[in-house]
Formats: sequence, structure tokens, C-alpha cells
Amino acid sequence: MAELIIILTILIPWFGGLVVWAVGDQHPNLQHRLAAGFSVLGGIISLFLLMYIQDVPVVRVDIGGVFGSFTLVPDGLGVYLAIIAAVIGSLAVIFSNNYMKGEAQLGRYYSLMLLFIGAMVGLVLSGSLLFMFVFWEITAFCSYALISFHNDDPKAVYGGIKALIMTQIGGVGLLLGALAAYAYLGSYQINDFIANTAEFPTGVLAVIAFGFLVAAAAKSAQVPFHTWLPDAMEAPTPISALIHAATMVNAGVYLLARFFPAFEPVSGWTIAVMTVGLLSALMAAILAAGTYDLKRTLAYSTISQLGYMVYAIGVSGIYASQFHLLSHSVFKALLFLGAGAVIHAVGTRNMREMGALGKSMRFVAIVFVIGTLALAGLPVTNGFFSKELVLEAGLNHGAAWAYAGMLIGVAITGYYSIRMVRLVFFNPANSSKQPHPTGLAMRISLAVLAVGTLLTWLLAGPFSRMLAGSLPYHRLEPESTLDVVLEVLTNPTTWITVLVVLFGISLWFLRGRLAGLIHALQPLNRLTNQDFGFEWLNRQIIRITNRVATTLRKTQTGQLNWNVFGIVGALVILLILIVWIG
Amino acid sequence: MNLSIETIALVGVIGLLGVGLYGLLISRNLIKIVVGLQILVKAALLGIVLAGKINGQPLLAQSMVITIIVADTIVAVIGIAMIVQIRRQLGTLDVSELSKLKG
Repeated sequence: MAELIIILTILIPWFGGLVVWAVGDQHPNLQHRLAAGFSVLGGIISLFLLMYIQDVPVVRVDIGGVFGSFTLVPDGLGVYLAIIAAVIGSLAVIFSNNYMKGEAQLGRYYSLMLLFIGAMVGLVLSGSLLFMFVFWEITAFCSYALISFHNDDPKAVYGGIKALIMTQIGGVGLLLGALAAYAYLGSYQINDFIANTAEFPTGVLAVIAFGFLVAAAAKSAQVPFHTWLPDAMEAPTPISALIHAATMVNAGVYLLARFFPAFEPVSGWTIAVMTVGLLSALMAAILAAGTYDLKRTLAYSTISQLGYMVYAIGVSGIYASQFHLLSHSVFKALLFLGAGAVIHAVGTRNMREMGALGKSMRFVAIVFVIGTLALAGLPVTNGFFSKELVLEAGLNHGAAWAYAGMLIGVAITGYYSIRMVRLVFFNPANSSKQPHPTGLAMRISLAVLAVGTLLTWLLAGPFSRMLAGSLPYHRLEPESTLDVVLEVLTNPTTWITVLVVLFGISLWFLRGRLAGLIHALQPLNRLTNQDFGFEWLNRQIIRITNRVATTLRKTQTGQLNWNVFGIVGALVILLILIVWIG
Repeated sequence: MNLSIETIALVGVIGLLGVGLYGLLISRNLIKIVVGLQILVKAALLGIVLAGKINGQPLLAQSMVITIIVADTIVAVIGIAMIVQIRRQLGTLDVSELSKLKG
């Protein structure tokens, strides 16, 4: 039974994708309903996985040869991420029923989305490194194809290709690590690898560890690979909510958490992870505070929140990081879908052209404010509890300077959260346009996510027991919800953090009086306009690559004689090498 | 000097290979290129026959080679036919002047 359910969780979305594609674009209403039906079915079936949590493979297919075995392991870490992918995926599809109404080529849209959902479930449940890599690349492809969904828009195509190239860099790191592990172990099984890390030479283990860190940083849009995520915002908003906030970008964090017991002994690895998280959290928060594009603001805040999770893994807070991942998936999907409803209604992403939408879009305003409270980490939302757990882990096990840096990040988070809400909903109206009403499908998705944002912290106990029970190498302690809540509420650092958030919020209201300070920060503003020089770095890399390509192109004359000369030359060199070495 | 049949065949393979590659390397005339290509293929065929003899499966190797000769003849025929057409249409057989197909 467990076998059937775990396979259906992957195959139902994929089958649905095929069906929607086969229906054809001349029946858009049928496509909407079919896509929603299949994704909801997949979401419901994924919930049944909760009954079969275990740390041994339930599906094992021996491919043979160098490919090893394809296994699916429903352990706690994988199952909850699979549920996030399937459930939030189905909500995003339902939301699309309104959002994408009247768009052309819905077949491509929905089938890629369903392909993505299945691949994401496969990624987190796969017990084999090689097949994890395969699913990893499928998600990267879907991400690329959906960012460039409006493929007549040069900006969308640019963003898609940028995302593809940058996540490929990470894919190379993952493949390198997987192959090195196979070379030494003769098996791709993740659990074998974690159990046998003592047998690896230190250097090889370090290569795997840092290869995976590169993979995680590229996939989760962490410094220095973060620049693809803001440009990925050209995607339709449900895609941004699903792929670039709730699921795919978490794959990197998942990878780090999964392999944490194996890489913890590698010297410098935890420090590197912590630093990457800290830099991402801080820099992205500053960038979010300076942009006027609603979706880009949310994208930067996603990078920042993913930075918190990576930081938590660097300070051994696996449970805290995963709990924050759960909270973040729910509230960030809510924020993105809320932003989607706003963008759909007013037809612009520029926050300066919005304002006073609080009256005309009361429902969206309420759920958006709930999401923002969770983002800022204010009670009693899921973001409050999970962020406190992250910071507590940072204070207990991490360096003090890093904790201080994270607190600054918390303050800036408060600042940009209130700025976003005020600009969009409660400023004087800057536009006389009458917003479109919010559709029923949109309201359903938003309501479910808003309730989730308010309530998922109640799952802290079962979630902890689930992770502790099925991850033997992570040495997690099961805790009850009451323990977690009491721990958070009685800890003085919690209230320091809340004060810091309120300080950040008050900065927004006092910004008129702080004109001198703002003026002093002008150089910082110039720096943020160029994304701290990372965009410049990207452009330089592209320029150098192009120049090298142009130079090397001269060797491709298209002349037969020259090509034969190349073949013979290479043959001679190889023969000389063989004679010389042998 | 005691030369076995294998050694002689191996020298033949290497010699044909060298002649074929040399022909491809220096010739600009399309017909000479086809001739060079054919010599190169014959080197490979001789190599297969030799390998069959060494492995003790001469019949398998020979039947494979016969098949390849048939296929290869078709390649040569089509090549020559195209060359004839090129000569008729463009008036030259020099590859460096035939840049019209260059993408």
C-alpha cells in the first residue's frame, strides 16, 4: 500500500500533465478543471504518506550497472516536503484558474506545472543520489520553461535563461558530489553514504560537502548565486509562488539538512554554511527595502528567509531550519498569491502606482497582512515561532557576531514588511483605476493559506516527532508542541527579537525625521541599485565567456583539411601519451 | 625475418590509414577527398578482418566486412553523384571555394 501511494504521488501529477496537454488549447475551461482536479488529487494522496513514515526504502527498482538502484524513502524530511509540494502546488493550480483565465497556451502552462509538482515530490523522496540529481534537473527545467512562459517577452526569456544557467552551476556541484560518493562507496544510496562517511578520505568528503553547498546555494538563490531569483519574477505569479517561494528554492536547504550529519565533521563547512546564510539574509533584506517592484521585493525577502534556514543549518539547528521552511512555504505562498491577486486587479507590479487598495480589496488586504506578520515574525503566526527557533539555535550554538548580524536582518525585515503593506494597501491612492474583483478560486487558495499561516505552528510537536523518529543520523530530540511554545514564549531572546522587529517597523514611520540618516545612507543606496556588485560580476563573466568563445570560434573554419588535421593531431598526441605513460 | 600474416595485415592497416588521412589532409579536390575517405574505410575493414582472425572468429568478421563494403559503396556512389551535380551547378571541385553551404 505504501508503495502504491508513494508512486501515485509522483505519477498522478505527471499523468495529469499529459492529459491536460492532450486535451488541447481549444478547451481552456476543461484544462483549468482537469489541472485543478489532478493536482488536488495528488495533494490528497500525498497526505496519506504521513501514515507510512519510515527510514527504509519502500520502492526499490534495480536499474543495474552504474545506475545503482532507484529507491523511494518516505522519511519525515522527505514526506513533509512532498506534502508541501503537492498541497501548495494544488493551491497554486487552483489560483491559476482565475489568474490565467484568457491566456493562450494553457496546456503548456499546466503540464509544466504538474510535471514540476511530480518532480519535486520525486526529488525529496528519492533515496538515490543519482535519481535525486535527475529530479533536481527536471525541476530546474520546469522552472526555466515557466519563467519564460511569456516567450515573446525578452525580459522573461532573459530571466529564464539566467535561472537555468545559474541553477546548472549548482547541478554540476551536485553531480560532482554524487559521482565522488559513488566512486568511493559503490552505491548511490543516501543512507549508505551518511552511515559510512567515516570511510571517506578527508579531502574527498570536503569536495563532496562543498560541491553540495554550491548546489544548495545556486538552487536556493543564496549569495553569490542569488541574482537569478529577482529576474525569475517575470514568471506568472502562481509560478513564482509555487516554484520560486514555496518549493523548488527549498531544495537547496533540503539538501543541506539531509546531508548535515555527513558533512558536520568537515572542517570549515558549518562556518561556510552559516556565513552564506547570514550574508544572504542581510543583503537580500537590504535589497528588499530598496525596491519598488512588489514581486521583486517578495523575491528578495525569499532569498533573505532562505538565508535564515541556511544559517540555522550552519548552527546545527536542523529542526529549526526545517520548521522555518514549513512556515515560510505557507506564508510566502500566501504573500505571492496575494500579490498575484493585487497585480491581477490593478495590472501593474510597481508599488508606487498602488495604494488605498485596503478598501477596495478588503479580503486580499487581510490575508496579505497576516502573511506579512508571519514574514516579520510577529505573534501569533507560524513565522513568529519558527523564526524564534532559528535565532535561538543561532544564539546557543553559533557565533555571537553572526547572531548580531541576523538581528539586524530581523529589523530590516520588519522595515520592508511594513513598507510593502503601506505602499500597496494603505497609502493614499496613486491611481484612479478601479481594481478588478478577486475571483472565487483565488479566494479559496488565499483563505486556505491564510488559515495555514495562522495555525501551522500547532504542528510543531508532531513535526518534531516525525523528523526525530525517521532520521536516525540527525540525533534530533522529539518535543511536544507545548514544549516548543513554552520554550519560545519564556525565552528572553524572543522578546528581544520582537522588540527589534518593532524597532524596524517604527523606522518606517520615523523615516521623515530620519532624513539626515537616510541622506547618510545614499552610498548604500547606490550600492543596492547595482545589487552589491553581483550583477556587475555576472555581466563580467558573460563578457569574458563571450570573448573567449569569439576567440575560439576562429579554430572552427569549417575546412575539411583543417578538421582532419585536428583529428590526426589529437590521435598523435594520445599515442605519444600512451607510449610515454605506459 | 619471419613475418606472420598478422604483422603484414597490421602494417597494411596502418599504411592505408596513413594514406587515407594524408589524402584528406592535403587534397582540395572533392574526388580526391572521396578517394581518401574510401582508402580510410578500407583500412578500417582490413582492421576488422584482422581482429576477427586474431579472435578466432574470421567468418563473423568477414561477413560484417562484406556488409560494410555494400553500405560503403552506396556512400561513395551518392558522394560521387553529388560531386557531379556540384561540378555542373557551381563549376568547381575545389572545397575551399564551395562556401555556399556554410551555415
